Amino acid sequence: MPYVPIEKRLFRIDGDTPVLLGSRCARCRETFFPRRRLCAVCFEPVEDVDLCGRGTLYSYTYVHVPFFGQTRIDAGGYGVGQIDLPERVRVQAVLVGEPGAWRIGMPMTIALEVVDERGEDDVAIFRFAPEEA
Amino acid sequence: MRNVIVAGTGAAPFTKEAADLQRIAVDAGLAALTDAGIGFGEVQAAYVGYIRAPVMTGPRVMKEFGLTGIPVQHIENASATGAAAFREAWAAVAGGHVDVAMALAFDSLSERAGSPANGRRGMGRNSLEGAILPAAFFAMWAQRRMHDYGTTADTLATIAAKNWNHARFCPWAQRRADHAVTAKEVLDSFMVAEPHTAMMSCGVGSGAAAAIVVSEDYAKRLDHSRPQIKVLASAMQSERYTEGHVFLGPVIGPSRMTADTAKEAYEKAGVGPSDLDLVQVHDAFPIEELVYYELLGICGDGAGDDLVARGDTAIGGRIPFSTDGGLIARGHPGGPTGLAQIHETVVQLRGEAGPRQVADATIGLCHIVGAGSVCIIHILAR
Repeated sequence: MPYVPIEKRLFRIDGDTPVLLGSRCARCRETFFPRRRLCAVCFEPVEDVDLCGRGTLYSYTYVHVPFFGQTRIDAGGYGVGQIDLPERVRVQAVLVGEPGAWRIGMPMTIALEVVDERGEDDVAIFRFAPEEA
Repeated sequence: MRNVIVAGTGAAPFTKEAADLQRIAVDAGLAALTDAGIGFGEVQAAYVGYIRAPVMTGPRVMKEFGLTGIPVQHIENASATGAAAFREAWAAVAGGHVDVAMALAFDSLSERAGSPANGRRGMGRNSLEGAILPAAFFAMWAQRRMHDYGTTADTLATIAAKNWNHARFCPWAQRRADHAVTAKEVLDSFMVAEPHTAMMSCGVGSGAAAAIVVSEDYAKRLDHSRPQIKVLASAMQSERYTEGHVFLGPVIGPSRMTADTAKEAYEKAGVGPSDLDLVQVHDAFPIEELVYYELLGICGDGAGDDLVARGDTAIGGRIPFSTDGGLIARGHPGGPTGLAQIHETVVQLRGEAGPRQVADATIGLCHIVGAGSVCIIHILAR
């Protein structure tokens, strides 16, 4: 069944691998995520670039209360993290795994997860998971 | 640019429960007018701040004071909304456009959080932008700090407990404990996002606050029996690009923004961090207050933990922070938070803060960030 990205402007799916869509400045080579029109440093037009799906975990937490301003704790928590990619881009994403699965500096890799099976297509999101040793 | 005086401030009680916005807004505005000793007929411009309210709520609320034809402008800048309204009022007077301006802000985030019709913030794990809530973003900041500097959850709990205890003596604070709050109690409250517990997370609710600013000449007409409070500096900056800059998500922004804005404010005011007697910051979570000690130049990089251990930032300490309880305990309804900081600072500088009075308070700083994307700092002096 074909996968459809939940937000097409942020990533595409090659087979079963999410590919983050970034921008790189032709002049200063600074790379950005998500895509933008002008370089944030030198204001020149940027070019489209695919970002590496592997990086290191800069920081993380486990969210026990997923909804702002609410005190219900039965909604189910999840890990979130910031992943530094080799292009010097920091991506925030939901993490795969349970509390205790993560430590700062560990290698992470992007993963596809289906969030909605609807009709012909499976709507999918990207997450980051600890890299298999 | 002309010198600007804060002639009066006021606040309606901050509450966990949803409040009638119009009523609390008028309460706060009237309190500020009474405090200044003037009637609404004297006000020549109004800047009204709120994050979530129907279109034209600002002008509609202002009609409750009177219909005088003055310009009324709505301001929104996330958590920095109230500070932004104050800054616009300051600019109107400093720039010579008017002699008397009102800044008024109100919000009821409890309504918004509870009702899906108002747009629930945070869409859970199956969203890309909604999964990283403020609690999670600041928790990641804390986790990294703990990794890099060895900061402990106990230090974060100590900061939160301090702010809860400050709020016990603030009449308009949302969270007023009936006992001295301990760090253990804070740590034992339920976990929101590691390492942040519920009692470390800012109190979300309703509130309103207001300020009247006037020119130095106009201030000569006012009551001279109380100390006059001057605005020494108003500084505002937005983000500068930094390596590892996060663009996607609701709460972003480099910590450098606070240091840059503080530098501008200190230069404009002609004072330095060692001249300050009290400070209010955007302490939505205690990690923020801890890092702002350093970014505001109160102590060196990494020395914030020692400040907490010594009790330096509690009332009675060297440089008290969040003297009304801060966002954690006075409450953070959104719009009015920045103006509540101004109100608290004015009350302290006048020596009218009662049991939470900072001794000989002469210079106070108010710092706030909005969605991690703007920073506003005001320095006030007696």
